[in-house]
Amino acid sequence: MATRKVRYKKLSVKTPLTVLREDQIDPTEYESLTNEGQISTGVDHAEENEYHLQAVLQGAGVAADKEIPVPPPEESTLNFDHLYRQKFSKTSTYIRFSQTVEECIGCMYDMTEEDDVFLKSYNQKRPASTQLSEDDFERVMEVFEDTAYIRTPFASVDQTIVSYDEMFQGLQELDAAKVMPHAKQVYEYWKTRRQALGNRPLHPTLKFELHQESDEQDPFVCFRRREVRQTRKTRARDVQSADKLKRLRKELEEGRQLILAAHGRELLKLEMLKTDRAIYDQRAVLKDHKIRLGIKTDDEDLVNQKPQKRKAPEAPAVQRPPPPAQLRLPVRPDGRTAEADLAQLSDRLAEKENELRADIAKKVQNHSEWNKGHVDLTRGPLSPVRGPRLDISFRPAKTQYLMTPPASASSGSLEEPMPMDLDEPEHAPPAFKFRGVAQDEQSMANPPAYRRRIGRLNRLWIDRRGLTSPPRDSSDALSDQWKYDQSSDDEEDVPIYEVDPFDTRALKFRASIPLPAWLLSRAHPATAPVGNRPSILPPPTLPQTITQLHSTQNQTTITPPPAPRTSPSMKTGP
Amino acid sequence: MGPKGGVGDAPVGSDTPRQKGKATPDTLKIGCIALVTKDGQPRRAEILSIRETKSGRQFYCNFDNFNKRLDEWVPVARIDFDQDVDWPSLEKEKPKDNKVKKASAAPKRAQPSKKAQKKVGKREQSVASEGQTPHPWTEFTENLAQAKAQGKAEDVEDKAVASLEIGGTPGVGPDEMELDEDETPAELAKKERTASFSREEEIEKLRTSGSMTQNPTEISRIRNISKVEFGKWVLFPWYFSPYPEVFSQEDRIFLCEFCLSYYGDLKSFSRHREKCTLQHPPGNEIYRDDFVSFFEIDGRRQRTWCRNLCLVSKMFLDHKTLYYDVDPFLFYVMTTRDDRGCHLIGYFSKEKESTDGYNVACILTLPQYQRKGYGRLLIQFSYELSKIEGKLGSPEKPLSDLGLLSYRQYWSENIVDLLLGYSERDEKCTIEGIASHLAMTTQDVEHTLQALKMQVYHKGEHKIVVPEKLRQQREKSKLKQKRLIDSERIQWKPPVFTASNRTWGW
Repeated sequence: MATRKVRYKKLSVKTPLTVLREDQIDPTEYESLTNEGQISTGVDHAEENEYHLQAVLQGAGVAADKEIPVPPPEESTLNFDHLYRQKFSKTSTYIRFSQTVEECIGCMYDMTEEDDVFLKSYNQKRPASTQLSEDDFERVMEVFEDTAYIRTPFASVDQTIVSYDEMFQGLQELDAAKVMPHAKQVYEYWKTRRQALGNRPLHPTLKFELHQESDEQDPFVCFRRREVRQTRKTRARDVQSADKLKRLRKELEEGRQLILAAHGRELLKLEMLKTDRAIYDQRAVLKDHKIRLGIKTDDEDLVNQKPQKRKAPEAPAVQRPPPPAQLRLPVRPDGRTAEADLAQLSDRLAEKENELRADIAKKVQNHSEWNKGHVDLTRGPLSPVRGPRLDISFRPAKTQYLMTPPASASSGSLEEPMPMDLDEPEHAPPAFKFRGVAQDEQSMANPPAYRRRIGRLNRLWIDRRGLTSPPRDSSDALSDQWKYDQSSDDEEDVPIYEVDPFDTRALKFRASIPLPAWLLSRAHPATAPVGNRPSILPPPTLPQTITQLHSTQNQTTITPPPAPRTSPSMKTGP
Repeated sequence: MGPKGGVGDAPVGSDTPRQKGKATPDTLKIGCIALVTKDGQPRRAEILSIRETKSGRQFYCNFDNFNKRLDEWVPVARIDFDQDVDWPSLEKEKPKDNKVKKASAAPKRAQPSKKAQKKVGKREQSVASEGQTPHPWTEFTENLAQAKAQGKAEDVEDKAVASLEIGGTPGVGPDEMELDEDETPAELAKKERTASFSREEEIEKLRTSGSMTQNPTEISRIRNISKVEFGKWVLFPWYFSPYPEVFSQEDRIFLCEFCLSYYGDLKSFSRHREKCTLQHPPGNEIYRDDFVSFFEIDGRRQRTWCRNLCLVSKMFLDHKTLYYDVDPFLFYVMTTRDDRGCHLIGYFSKEKESTDGYNVACILTLPQYQRKGYGRLLIQFSYELSKIEGKLGSPEKPLSDLGLLSYRQYWSENIVDLLLGYSERDEKCTIEGIASHLAMTTQDVEHTLQALKMQVYHKGEHKIVVPEKLRQQREKSKLKQKRLIDSERIQWKPPVFTASNRTWGW
């Protein structure tokens, strides 16, 4: 505000403000603190300074002692109970209502005092039985007014008055017996009234726009129609219509292709018929020759051979489409080819579907087989899933995913962490074979299997089976013993097992082995795979000393944030 | 500031010298400013119209600094002819060159004079709507012809003046006054030129949103309906409403309390009452307690009813405009129940889609229900709906004087309650927090805090102080146990409108 002497820190709506009561602050101080700035009221400027408003506003805030005077309402002298006779019964539920005013007020014409005078004098001349009731009078007048409105919408300008004959049709819809004797006279009355009012509707109406120059300034013209708003051009709308056009184009293109294909098919059919005919002709010639030369064989070469004959009835039974090489379609005279084609296609799909299902079932079975005898050695072991349970937290589908390692770490899917960063593909020809460990006949017969799952706290688990594994940290006393357990299957490929690991000779030998590259890479994170996804970098060639110890069942835990120290064969990302 | 000084308050009189002189009842003419007795006290008043009645000549007076709802027809006896009268000075000559000079010499001063001038012109225009003056017609048309003859160019400029003021009003910021001070004449001229379109601009704005007008030609018309029979009550309209023109000649008009149809004579009204079956607003009830009900009415589906409602409310809302149709609005109607039906107490309308974030377009409590706390309920209900929508809302501007007071009271009560809670718990609060808690816009919160002098700058930081007076008042009013809207009873989901609704005019 320009009038302020000291410029305060700007007050943001997010600033936390201390709330004090007036007695918690020095009163003299408070007086000086309150700013006297003019506050916008939202009232029109011309009216802001009106005497009564200012008087109340000066009274500061909520003072209710001063009021703005208004012309006071008065109690009506009309008989309310007579005018509003209908009783209202309260509903127990909230009212739901959608009828319009027009639907609720019946006859749209309400007779005026003038009409009343006319009707009374009109009825006086008649016996009671033939008098016109107020309701019927109104109905007749309504017909006149409505017809006039429809027939001569510009009556007030061109002064045409609808003739009685034209009214007749509308009157027919009323109770003719009661109304018709009076209609003509009422019409005359209506006509005089209309003329007296400059041929305007008898009921006073609101002034609507007539699209004339005078409309704009006329205060009585109200409720103008809004012109339809221009649809705003937005990118979303553009994209929408572009999509629609694309789809339309595609559909049209498909239709065109269909017709082209049908055309091609018919051409082929023609070709085939021609060929058939040629064959037939040739056979006829052959027959002639045979007769002429007196060769007597059976006429097998003159008709289509059996295999073809057999095929024809077979095709519908198996519902297989004919092999593409065969040009001859099983054309039946009744032309059911197209139908058969359709049926075959759906059958084909069903078959595929079945195959797929069988495949899945087989995989599920395999999977549960792999899981047989699974022993979890973690502290709080998770029991293996039994049976073909489709548990989302344990995703069997991932097994397959693991068996086909990705080409490289960077090409992995973006939304989930890469479970493993496997070897370069050059020495992993069969996709499902994990070449990071020693291969032998045994392991080929019992291929290694992996399973990835996500455990509590988003920990990533990889279960392996049929895989040699590095020794666990020997400091773990509890898990120590299994190292020396004999695995019955792999007994023969552990010849070094008997060697005392603390034998000086062995130690010496081991010390002479240079550190493998993968171990060195730990010191140089630059060589590690990109990204911080947990990844496993198995050594290209594992030292025998490490691979010698393994069990058929073991587990390695990979916890994404901290790198597990226990498994030297695995490595988390930098 | 003196009651008659200041910048914005000169509907009557101005700095430009006016011819003064004595007048008689016969010579007093439209545009004159005379001393007229109002509530026992003499007050300057502008004569806007003259009519002959059986009891003699009457003058339609607008009183200096009084709201137009207090305009009235006064008999000769109430006009003081002993005092000099300001004649409608040679309005046609002085206007433009004069104004331009003023603009260059003292731009700030120019404003009041412009206003006064414009007022005269505009009022004259509006007299055309007054059908009750058979005699003064000749005089009036003479005036008009004179005006036309005296300069078409002036007409154009006059329009520009009117719109200049309009251009200023939308930004109701406090520093608006200063704005004019640094304006060079060139700038001013430019502003005028650009502003001359603002009538069209406003209509365009109304076409797309809003229901309030800032346009003086729209609002300052002479009241056309003198008396309304409405249910058990007789109402005296405050402002012009575009009911059929012939109604201007009626002593009173009759409104059906339920369908709000309008009738010029008792016979047709009572005939209508025989047939009308409506007993509540024609929509769905969305709230009910022991005391009131709320109905939601779609302006497009219930066009007739909503038009009728707007005609009623226009009689009591000055800035409401009925220029465009009711289609883009929803009407929330508050009723009270008895054995005859649900009687209309008040309503507020709301745009189906407000580009300015308004949650109320027009809001009105009918006069017979005013000062009973119903306005508060209406306001509270509008904010409850905003809470359900999860939006912050504010009423459309300009507010009327009564609207401002009602809103101020609602805002201050709720904010004080909230602040006392904070103060007891010794917590800090943010303006944003208050706003989102009450579904009010942050500007409204700030304005209320400033208006109640609660926002202070103390020892280098902003603080909020709850004045003792307010606290006591709040406690007192709490004892009175006012009625409140129970938000649990609202059965309402924000209506959804599709793009095609929007495109095809709701």
